Amino acid sequence: MTIFNTALSKPWIWSWLAALATFVLTVLFTGGASTFSLGQATLTFAAFSVIVGLGQMLVITLGPGNVDLSVPATITLSGTLALKFMNTDASLILPGLLVAIGIGLGVGIANYGLIKLLRIPPIIATLSMSFLVQSLAIWSNRGLRIKPPDELSAFTTGMTLGIPNIAVVGLTLSVAIWWLLDRSIYGRWISAIGQSPFAARMAGIPVDGTRFLTYVICAVLAALCGYLLACFSGGAALNMGAEYLLMSIAVVVIGGSAVAGGNSNVPGIWGASLFMFLVVSMLNTYGFGAGIRLMLTGLIIIAVIIAASRRVSAR
Amino acid sequence: MTFKTILLATAAVLSAAVLPHAANADTSGKKIALSNNYAGNSWRQAMLTSWDKVTKPAVAAKKVAAADAFTTAENQATEQAAQIQNMILQGYDAIVLNAASPTALNGAVKAACDAGIIVVSFDGIVNEPCAWRIAVNFKEMGRSQVEYLSKRLPQGGNLLEIRGLAGVFVDDEISAGIHEGVKQFPQFKIVGSVHGDWAQDVAQRAVAGVLPSLPDVAAVVTQGGDGYGAAQAFEAAKRKTPIIVMGNREDELQWWKKQKDANAYETMSVSIAPGVSTLAFWVAQQILDGKQVKKDLTVPFLRIDQANLEDNLKSTQKGGVANVEYSQADAEKVIADAK
Repeated sequence: MTIFNTALSKPWIWSWLAALATFVLTVLFTGGASTFSLGQATLTFAAFSVIVGLGQMLVITLGPGNVDLSVPATITLSGTLALKFMNTDASLILPGLLVAIGIGLGVGIANYGLIKLLRIPPIIATLSMSFLVQSLAIWSNRGLRIKPPDELSAFTTGMTLGIPNIAVVGLTLSVAIWWLLDRSIYGRWISAIGQSPFAARMAGIPVDGTRFLTYVICAVLAALCGYLLACFSGGAALNMGAEYLLMSIAVVVIGGSAVAGGNSNVPGIWGASLFMFLVVSMLNTYGFGAGIRLMLTGLIIIAVIIAASRRVSAR
Repeated sequence: MTFKTILLATAAVLSAAVLPHAANADTSGKKIALSNNYAGNSWRQAMLTSWDKVTKPAVAAKKVAAADAFTTAENQATEQAAQIQNMILQGYDAIVLNAASPTALNGAVKAACDAGIIVVSFDGIVNEPCAWRIAVNFKEMGRSQVEYLSKRLPQGGNLLEIRGLAGVFVDDEISAGIHEGVKQFPQFKIVGSVHGDWAQDVAQRAVAGVLPSLPDVAAVVTQGGDGYGAAQAFEAAKRKTPIIVMGNREDELQWWKKQKDANAYETMSVSIAPGVSTLAFWVAQQILDGKQVKKDLTVPFLRIDQANLEDNLKSTQKGGVANVEYSQADAEKVIADAK
């Protein structure tokens, strides 16, 4: 009973329960025949949301007003430029990855430069940056789709021991971010800043350095997601990042991290990402029309958030 | 005033009135603007490239004085309405318009008409009566897919429908056409319907999510930009590849060609050529020229079949969309067909 209570007191448990419930409901529709294939599809597509969601989570942890709206544009630019750079040449896979990471670093540094030097609020700064970055993506390749190198495309769509490679990448990154957040001094710093920037500064925490690093990590993760997504879906598209703006914020909130900052968790990102994919699959499987589908998606998300946030405040 | 000056003045007035009807010289002083609401996908990029490709030589050949393209940043009707107001002030003679909304721009379009400006809308059309519309028969585009399938699969089968962006007029129209087709050929049954947002990656995700719960799928009906993603999803799920109707994207055609060579895979591909912007340009030029043009015109489809796949693939830019640019003669033909 105590284990049960401890589990229920975790803010991320609700997203996992919701994911599990939608999974069971979807599988029931086919009488259990689709368990394995649905599981694999879910892991694959959830992993992309996880990768961007982790970065957004760190930024949101920094406290009210902190959010990175340049995520979709960064995804698009990194996918576009990395694929253009590799130009289907397998020997350039690693340099291509470095190009993507370099773009992430550049966008992250520029984002924080706008926020700090020009004193623009993060929402405005990252939004205007996203226009610049998106225009750069349009200008650089005019929306033409260049195929990824075959090896890379095989890796991103492939599996190891029945688990999609993308999910393995997502899991590895999650463990790294979990360590950063829960075990390193950096994690305590961003939580402290999120709870009270003033107190954090008084306590001698390098507030600017920490915020800078956080925006850079977020942009690099988005760039990494763009690189993988472009290789997975056989080429970059100008609107490939559009999905991930709301998605990255939604998985943070549904995962039980505090919207006001200062308190985040990594497992919730996974629960929420799995849930977000499954809820669309479930409603598609049951054949609801678009209107009802969107409405139900909204209602279900609100229900999960209410459940999750009630537990947090009750602690 | 002497008789001589009156005579001269009359001659001047007459020549001014008569000269504009001479061939090719008549619209050389006219300025045409393109008002475009969105540039964020490959179709729109190809549309803008086609516009440049056709209008630059037309300006150089003095068919028109200017043909400038303007795109709004935010895909908002209010922003585009402001853009049209600016064009009125800048003194353009005609505005070629791909509209963000069929109704929300009506005020601005009416203001342009009242200022004596010709407004030709295409693709994203406006329903203000004073404007011309070059519309796509999206319903027929959907219906023709099912008709094609009825020839390929006379015994019928299960269909998976991939739709576009929910709530958009085009999506409703194509889907209505597909359902009409299914009514006409009742041997088909739509067993699943997902929204792919006209994007390969979104379509791939949506199909991958619904596929485990679907029975055997004989064919996939699409709206364009989603066929390759669907093919990927079927492959990842290790299911037999159904007949997937394509939407003229290069990666779709490339995939089709590969399947055709490997196992004689057969399908068809249909969409609207992004070069339809150039058709709108020539129609605007014809109207400025004084031609009588009906307010509602229809864009021809660009359809690719098994036989002309290779030719179309060759002429399609790598990573782009199969395209044709229209000439003045094409515009004259479309105008004549509508009469």
